[in-house]
Amino acid sequence: MFSKFTLSIFVIAALIIIPLTSFQTFAHGVDETTRHFLLNNSGVQLTPFMYIGAKHMVTGYDHLLFLVGVLFFLYRGKEVLLYVSLFTLGHSLTLLTGVLANITVNAYLIDAIIGLSVVYKGFDNLGGFKHYLGKQPNTKVAVLIFGLFHGFGLATKIQAFELPSEGLVSNLIAFNVGVELGQFFALMFILLVINVWRRYESFNRFTTTTNTALMSAGFMLVGMQLTGYFIN
Amino acid sequence: MEKNIKKTSLIKAIISSLVIAATTLILFILPAEYNIDPTGVGGTLGFTVFNEPLNEKQRIAEPTSNNLEEKRVLLTIPAGRGIEYKLAMAKFEKVSYQWQTNKGPVYVDLHGEPKGDTSGYFESYTIATVDHMKGSFTAPFDGSHGWYWKNTTDSAIEVQLTFSGQYIVEGLK
Repeated sequence: MFSKFTLSIFVIAALIIIPLTSFQTFAHGVDETTRHFLLNNSGVQLTPFMYIGAKHMVTGYDHLLFLVGVLFFLYRGKEVLLYVSLFTLGHSLTLLTGVLANITVNAYLIDAIIGLSVVYKGFDNLGGFKHYLGKQPNTKVAVLIFGLFHGFGLATKIQAFELPSEGLVSNLIAFNVGVELGQFFALMFILLVINVWRRYESFNRFTTTTNTALMSAGFMLVGMQLTGYFIN
Repeated sequence: MEKNIKKTSLIKAIISSLVIAATTLILFILPAEYNIDPTGVGGTLGFTVFNEPLNEKQRIAEPTSNNLEEKRVLLTIPAGRGIEYKLAMAKFEKVSYQWQTNKGPVYVDLHGEPKGDTSGYFESYTIATVDHMKGSFTAPFDGSHGWYWKNTTDSAIEVQLTFSGQYIVEGLK
């Protein structure tokens, strides 16, 4: 009994603390070290770009919160793989085309939509759509579409540096590979925690609370990014 | 797959998530991120510090047009971070400078970026890891010229910078 209680406290604390720790450094864009590197280097730099991509994903609380929402009710390996692949397909597509075709989207607005994707998933997990629409929108399509928006978000981070065209494609692909590696790494932890927690009765008791917290975090992201948009 | 809950608890979930989000935004996030602090709680708890020091320093650093008098600024490099202090200079304009830290060496890159260039190109005039430096440089092109300092230690370092010559201060970047 004690251990179950401790575990659920730990999980909830982790869900709250992890996003907060990276708030200052990564709230919008890339940190100083990365910035200096990007401004100082030209040409093909595969491993550094891979590292930046991975770091962005591991410390990108908005992407991670969305993944927590997506994985919350998925426990079969096949399903996890399918949904994660759809998300990957979506964000890789817009990351690559966004940067290469030089499509510029306002970073605040795109980050607000990413926040909205977190709200959507929390609401979906609570059965909100079923309740109000009578049926649930296709979850696979939703993951793919939000994946596309997450990719635009990644693209705006890269575009902010106006990288030289020399070696751009290679660097971009390296960045994308890094994003997937970082996502894989983060997924392992998210899945581990959720799957261990799933075995306990507290998982069911806290389902509503957890997804309400998820929605709330999503609303915070939306509010923060929209405020940024309006004052800049 | 998703949970089926009662209508009342769904509404409760929506309302409480909105209330928590709005409260956190107004009390903590907006003061810290944007210095918007309608309740004053953010300021009382110290969340607005992220914005204050920069504003104050920019006020000291800003202003002036071309001038030849000596200018003095005190800059703080936060622990583990880098800052950039730049001057707008036309080609062949000259600046003499001198700076020192309050404790230990920092990595410095004195460099210039051509005006209007978007490729990220820049030219370094001096790169070193030292605790003071004195010299002068002539701008090889129109653009933004100045210092990048990097503090690799885990406490803030102050840099006292003095310079004179032909420039328009762009300040911290």
